[in-house]
Amino acid sequence: MPLSIRSLTKHVNMAACKTENGSERKLEFFLKVPFPSEREATIALQSLSPDPEPRKGGITKNLDLSGQTLRWTADEARILRVSVSSFLDHLSLVMETMDAFGPPVSQ
Amino acid sequence: MLAVVMVLQQASVRLILPAETMPVVIGFEGSANKIGVGIIRDGEVLSNPRRTYITPPGQGFLPGETAKHHRGVILTVLQEALDEAGLKAADIDCVAYTKGPGMGAPLVTVAIVARTVAQLWGKPLLGVNHCIGHIEMGRLITNAQNPTVLYVSGGNTQVIAYSERRYRIFGETIDIAVGNCLDRLARVIKISNDPSPGYNIEQMAKKGNKYIELPYTVKGMDVSFSGILSYIEDAAHKLLSTGQCTPEDLCFSLQETLFAMLVEITERAMAHCGSQEVLIVGGVGCNLRLQEMMGVMCKERGARLFATDERFCIDNGVMIAQAGWEMFRSGHVTELSDSWITQRYRTDEVEVTWRD
Repeated sequence: MPLSIRSLTKHVNMAACKTENGSERKLEFFLKVPFPSEREATIALQSLSPDPEPRKGGITKNLDLSGQTLRWTADEARILRVSVSSFLDHLSLVMETMDAFGPPVSQ
Repeated sequence: MLAVVMVLQQASVRLILPAETMPVVIGFEGSANKIGVGIIRDGEVLSNPRRTYITPPGQGFLPGETAKHHRGVILTVLQEALDEAGLKAADIDCVAYTKGPGMGAPLVTVAIVARTVAQLWGKPLLGVNHCIGHIEMGRLITNAQNPTVLYVSGGNTQVIAYSERRYRIFGETIDIAVGNCLDRLARVIKISNDPSPGYNIEQMAKKGNKYIELPYTVKGMDVSFSGILSYIEDAAHKLLSTGQCTPEDLCFSLQETLFAMLVEITERAMAHCGSQEVLIVGGVGCNLRLQEMMGVMCKERGARLFATDERFCIDNGVMIAQAGWEMFRSGHVTELSDSWITQRYRTDEVEVTWRD
């Protein structure tokens, strides 16, 4: 069954927290994205990971397939918000593409 | 036995494959305000739909809004490309897309879709240089053998010639592109961006008859346009408000100056290369006055001029497919992890393995 953006936002778990790392305060953000299958999760990840973040510094983004949890760390809330927001837009584009032109061919 | 050997030497053996077995390449382009998806098979254009993001008069297009426009239509245009070509996804053999240069956000949007369909359909991916897309499409359509290429658009201005596996840049703008200069005059005099500011400037220029002298800034093999732009923006306000000239006169004067500069640097490159062919590609290449002026210079030199029409001059998907096809058949493939887009991508960075 195709995964729509509406059902995705129902299941996505998001958590942002501040962690203190010595004298630095870093923001962390976790996003758990359920995909219908491992294959579709891999496709999405490989479509979304190649491009570098527009801003060189201030943000690190870890897209980790295992557990389907994505982790961001950022110095500023604004950078974090823009990066996550942009990612969600791109993710919904991947899913729309998969809905319209999938399912993936058997390998 | 000797007779048999002689026959084999004289016969030219050509493997003729039926059309159905030639690779079908789909190309995605969206580096500026045009989003296009095109399909090509063995040099035949099967489909080439395109949409343009047009802003109100006086406004240019920004990366975020452009990306949003492309995101809204890309899947529709993709389906159109397949439908017009009469093909299904399974008929596509490889997926080409614009790796760069261009605007970041729109490039990412298009690359994401290309990567996704390549994986869904289990086909190889090809990251194409946008400038080389223009060149390869120009070569295919016009059959120019080894031309000096003038690549002129809103984002690029380069004089290019092929030499030893690279498209070498012989001359270029040291600041803004010629199309950018024209587009920004259009914004100052607030003419419509539909279908494009350059087209409307061309139509207005035909009605201009007063030549306003502008700076002429050729720098050896290169050109500079930002000084001319500041000058004409300033002149526009002064001359129009005092009624000393019309907007048509400004359009006419700017075109004459810019195009004369482009003809000069093209001629200089031709002289260096001993070239007898000129190929104009890129959106500004649609301009008939530019073609006319270049034609005069070519005639004087006994050279031939080649140009394409707006289907292929203006950014489109099939030019990416064609360049992708050339790359694919000479062994290139882009791994997903290497498929990142880049805003800066020099034309001479690519090894042109498909030419001798």
